[in-house]
Formats: sequence, structure tokens, C-alpha cells
Amino acid sequence: MHVRKEPAARRKKGPVLGVLGVVVLAAALALAATSSGGTKVTNAANAGPTIGKGGGFGEVYKANVATLKKTLFKATLLPKNPTARNIALAGLGRADIKVNYDLALKCWKNNGCSTGTGGKLTVAYIEQFGENVYRQMSKMEFILQALTYPSVGKIIYKSAHSDLNQGIADFKAAIAQHVSLIVSYPDYGDAMLPVMREATQAGIPVATYAWGYVTGPGTNYLTVVGEDTCALGKVYAYVMNTQVKSGDIAFLGGFPGNPLSLGWQTCEKPALNPNIHVVATEPTNWDPSKVQQVVAGILAKHPDIKGWSYEYGLGMAQGAVAAYKAAGIPFNTVLTLRTDDVGMGCTFDQMNNPKLKMFYYTSGNSQIRVAFTAAMMKLKGATIPPKIVFPIELQNQRVRDSCVKGYPQEASATSLIPLSLLHRMYPG
Amino acid sequence: MKAPGQTFIASAVVAARFLPIWLATGVLALVAAIFAPDALQHTSWAYVLPYMTILAVAALGQMLVVMHAGIDLSTPGVISFGGNLIVGVSVGSDHKLALGLLACLGLGAGVGLANGILVGILRLNPLIVTLAVGQIVLAWSLRYSREVTNSSQVPEALSSWAAEKPLGISVIFWTGAAITLVVALLLRYTVVGRRFQAVGANPRAAWMAGLHVRTHVVFAYTAAGILYSSAAILLAGIRINIDPAFGAAYLLAPIAAVVIAGASLSGGLASATSTWMAALALTFLTQMLLILGLSTAMQFIVFGAAIIVGMMVSGDRVASLLGRVLRPIEGQARNPEMNVNTS
Repeated sequence: MHVRKEPAARRKKGPVLGVLGVVVLAAALALAATSSGGTKVTNAANAGPTIGKGGGFGEVYKANVATLKKTLFKATLLPKNPTARNIALAGLGRADIKVNYDLALKCWKNNGCSTGTGGKLTVAYIEQFGENVYRQMSKMEFILQALTYPSVGKIIYKSAHSDLNQGIADFKAAIAQHVSLIVSYPDYGDAMLPVMREATQAGIPVATYAWGYVTGPGTNYLTVVGEDTCALGKVYAYVMNTQVKSGDIAFLGGFPGNPLSLGWQTCEKPALNPNIHVVATEPTNWDPSKVQQVVAGILAKHPDIKGWSYEYGLGMAQGAVAAYKAAGIPFNTVLTLRTDDVGMGCTFDQMNNPKLKMFYYTSGNSQIRVAFTAAMMKLKGATIPPKIVFPIELQNQRVRDSCVKGYPQEASATSLIPLSLLHRMYPG
Repeated sequence: MKAPGQTFIASAVVAARFLPIWLATGVLALVAAIFAPDALQHTSWAYVLPYMTILAVAALGQMLVVMHAGIDLSTPGVISFGGNLIVGVSVGSDHKLALGLLACLGLGAGVGLANGILVGILRLNPLIVTLAVGQIVLAWSLRYSREVTNSSQVPEALSSWAAEKPLGISVIFWTGAAITLVVALLLRYTVVGRRFQAVGANPRAAWMAGLHVRTHVVFAYTAAGILYSSAAILLAGIRINIDPAFGAAYLLAPIAAVVIAGASLSGGLASATSTWMAALALTFLTQMLLILGLSTAMQFIVFGAAIIVGMMVSGDRVASLLGRVLRPIEGQARNPEMNVNTS
């Protein structure tokens, strides 16, 4: 658990070094991104150094350093557990395998497709809410990962449009169809447990990503992949303790009761120093307009609030900035966020406010690849650890700029979707 | 010719239908002043006024439909697709903004017309048919936003206009107030408006009087669609970005506003200004509950309870209660000899 701290000297020479750092990092990332694009082009990363060795269950436990750096910030931020580490390497390593991007795009637009390989496996990505860019990008990562397996013949995607009953029905339909594996983000937490257990009992491995934690990983379902959200909460607290020091802060979350928000909120609060007070904890459904409403309400009571912890960076950028603007209050605050949306970083840069500090983690879209590979390995008889946990390192926006040129504003630059494909997903 | 007593009673019954929401809003402000004074501060109003306006405009559309004993569940679909059309047609350019706005309004009119034909001409159940049409429009909106829209950001001219604050209050508020005033005046003081109300109150009598009942129903849905797309324009202006959940909050809230404003679900009577006030009350209540620091579950409970209470003290119930109380008085006024004790 680390936080990239801003050294004292950097704070003094902040603007110059910050700009230099941003330019170098942005250039490096842009270079990496450019080289990873293209339907028929082999990634430059393929020629670079790799991490890991060995393999089994149809996988090679190896990934390119450049790929790992792109999605995890550092190639060393891999799970500590050796088996989990191998699965992560196998899953992320597949991102460099060339697939048919035209087919991937078609599959993405049509919410499923036949891969044309004649493979016998049918794989499903089922979620209860899938209508924001983050989820749509995860869907594409799932499709791209599925296309790296010739044994996969059919890809299914289901979103329940925030309807729990529909979400349960989607799971039951997948079980009835005898799908080979299910990857999910359980938006309604333990409410999804009965159907996840039912699928597991039917012999279908169910893996969740983005720390879609539901009770009983390893028994009720195969595994949960993601960062330890409790650790995320503690890192958030560390940032607040060092940057805010004292005063009021607020927590925002997604849907009420979702495991991701609950995970970090539960652990951040006790880790805060006694001079920092959490004055509100509000759900936002990851909807920018709801963010605006909630932030406006909290600002009305606590106009001098000093920090906000949340997951959805772009939602914060769109909703909170509008609320501050409408209230006529300067956006002088500390933000701890989970996603690295490009639009979020660009909004931060445009505001050019030295009193605004932003720390973020990776969106983790690529975690779905690891969840997928874990389920595939299970089909081949591997023993999968119940939790595949990635270590956490928050990034300081002034040191590592998330506003990466060439990327769509809604996208996350840590995604492993090739840039050319992203532009086809989100033209313009 | 009506007797003065009859006129008074009729007026009182009509007023009683709409009065509670005004009183309730006053009580709400009083409660806020005591328990959540921050809700009455500038920061709070900066959010409440523009958002209540958008709800009010959408609710006005719903009101026109409810006046003809209908209901319209296509609102979120129209707002969502309308917002995406503004972005998609204008391509983020100020020069094409007018085209984007026209496309948005056209969409609203088109969807409303389709609803109107299905409900008014083909006599399909409005609850089901508008929900179905709304789902179709919403699906097209999602598809359009994924395939056609190049960016999620509305043209700068629209967001800049929406950020303006004449006399220190959001221009969105002034625009919504003007729309409300126009609708209220049209309904009350024009022949077309009076006919519109008459058809809604008693379609059979209106038909016998030679009015085109079906045409009025189709017109109600079409006008409602235009008002929804107007709400979409206002919302796009203050939201700046169109996200997948754009407009999702406007499925039931406009109906709640219309009902607690005192409109009769069986058609006929409704008040544009009371609907506007109900939109203010609902938005303010949401904000106040947030400021009070209630848990999310508690906020939902209080909000739901407030709507139930609102329905109990407004509309048909109060009107019929007042009618029962006043009619004996009217009878006594007309037959004073009945008061004489003959024993």
C-alpha cells in the first residue's frame, strides 16, 4: 500500500517540475498508446522486456512490462499471492495478442456475437448496470480477452439497466443456457448471491472484477478480482491526513449498498486522523447529475468542505465542478478518486487551480481480463484463489497527468483497449 | 344563470383542490428555517431553482396529458434522446446549435404525436403504450449516443447561456417561469385553452357539444412531448455533458408533481402554477433531506411519505370534502325558511 507523495522540493518548484513531469509522462504514455493501436499492427510492447515465467492450464504466466505499466502504473503492482500473480500475468499478458478488432467492435455494439472460431465455449459478462463509459469499456476488454481464446465460440453480454429483478433473470437465463463461464460486477452486492451460488452449483465458474465482492468468494463463486477496497480506503485516508490535515470531508458512493463503495468507506473513516470529520456519506448511482445534486446539498451545509472521496472521477469532474460553479464557491479541495478518466484529468488541467489537489487510482477495466482468465483456467482444472488482489498506489495528478492526449474524454488511459479501437468505439 | 352562492362554492372547491400545495410549500420552508436553515441559503437555491424548473417544465407536459385522463411514461426517453440529439446534430459546434435544438424539439413533437395517435386514435392504454414508446426511444438514444454522438459535451453557447444569472437567479429559472406563465394563461384565458380543459373534464359532453375529442388528446401528447424536449434543452445546458443516465430521473417525478399539485387523474382540472409550485416543493424537499443529513434510506422514506400526504390533502379528496361541507350551507342560503324552528 503506497501513495506517491509529492516531495517538499517539488512543492516549492511545483509548477516547473510538475509541467516537466506531466510532459514526460504524457509523452511516454502517448507513445505507448500509439504503438498499441491498430487492428493489424503488432504491439511495440511485444518486443520489450517481460515479467513472469512458466505456465499451465492453457496459459503463459508472462506479460510485457510496457503493458503492465500502462494498466497498473508500475509493472510491480501485481498480486502478492503467487498463484494470483500468475493468473494476473496470464490475463494481462493476453492483451498483446492480436485479435479481430472489427469483430470485437461488432460484438461490442451488438452486445454479443459468435466468434466464428467454432469453439464450444459460451462466455457471458452479466451486470446489473452497464450504461456508463466505464462499464462499456470493461465490456470491450471482456470481448477482446474472449477473442484471444479460439475455444470461445460465443460471447454474451447482459445489462439489467439498474433493475435487480432483471439482473437476477439474466443470471438465471445464462444458467439455463449452460454458459461456460460468467464474469460479473454485482451492482447489488449480496442480493446477487443466490443466483451466483446457483451458477456455481451448476458448474459455471463465476468471477467478479473491480472488487465486486459478494459474500463467500471461493465457495459461493469462483473469485473476486480487484484492488483491496479496504486498502484503498486506508490510502484515501492517508492522503486526507496529509493533505487536508483537519476539517470536514465527505464520501460519495455509487448505488446504495454496492460492495466497492462500502469497502473503502468502511476502512477510510477509522483511518482518518481525529481532526478530520466525515460530514456526509451519500450515494450517487455513479450518475453525474446526482453527483451535482449531492455536492450542492453538502456544500449548502458545509461550504468550507476540504475534501471528497469517491470512485468515479469523470462523474466528479462533471457533477461537482458544476455544483461548485453554481454555488459560486472556488473548487479548492482535495479529491481522492478511484478512476483515471481522461476527462477528469483534462478538467483538472483546464481549471489550473493550485489549491485543487487530486489523487487517483487506475480505473481497472483490465481487471476483467484477469477475472476472465481465472474462470478459463478453472475450466481447465486449475485451483483459483478466492481473491486476486492488486496492490494500490494512488497517483498525484500533478505528477502523473491523467489527461492523456489522443484519448476520448470518457475513456481511461490505463485501459488495454487499443487506442485505434477506442476511437472507433467513441468517434471524434 | 348561476346564483352568487353557487359561484362562490364552485370557486372554493376549485381553489381547495390547488391550495394545499401552496400551503405545504410554505410549511416546508418553515420547517427548513427551523431544522435546516442551510437549505435556504444561496448555495442551496443555486441548485434548487434550475433543477426545479426542469422538473416543472416536464411536469407541465405531464399535466396536459393528465388533464385528458392519460399518463405519459415516455418522458425519460424523450429527454435522453433529446439531449443526445443536441450534442449529435450540433457536433459540439455553436453554429449548428440551432439545428440541434430544432432536432430535439422535433423529436419531442414526434414522440408525443406517436403517443397521441396510439392513445387518442387507437385507444390503447396510455400507461402501457407510453412506457413501451419510452423504452423504444430510450433504446434508440443509447444506440445513437454510442454510434453517432462524437462527444458528450453540449455546444459552448448553450452551456454559457445556461450559466447566466439575470438578477442573480439562473436564466433556466426565468425561462421555466415564462413557460409556466404562458401555459397557465393559454389554458385559462384563451378559447382553445378552455376547450382543452372542457374536453378533459367531460369528453362525452365535449363531443356532444361538437368538439373534436380525439384531436385534443393527440394535441395533449404532442404538446407534452415538446415540453419534455424543452426540459431536455434546459437540462443539457446546466449539465454540460450528456451521460447515459441523462433524463432517467424524470420518469415518476413529473407525475408526482402533477398529482400533489391537485390535478384530477380522471381528467379535467389542473393548474400550471400549482404544478410549478409542486416541482419547487419536491426539489426543495429532496435538497432539505440531504442537508438534514438523513441516511439514504430515511430520505426515501420521508420523501415517499411526503408524496402520500400530499396526495391525501390535495386534488379530488379535498375538493369533494369541501363540496360536502359547503353544499348544505348553499342549500340553507337558498332556502332560509328551512332554518326556522317550527317546534
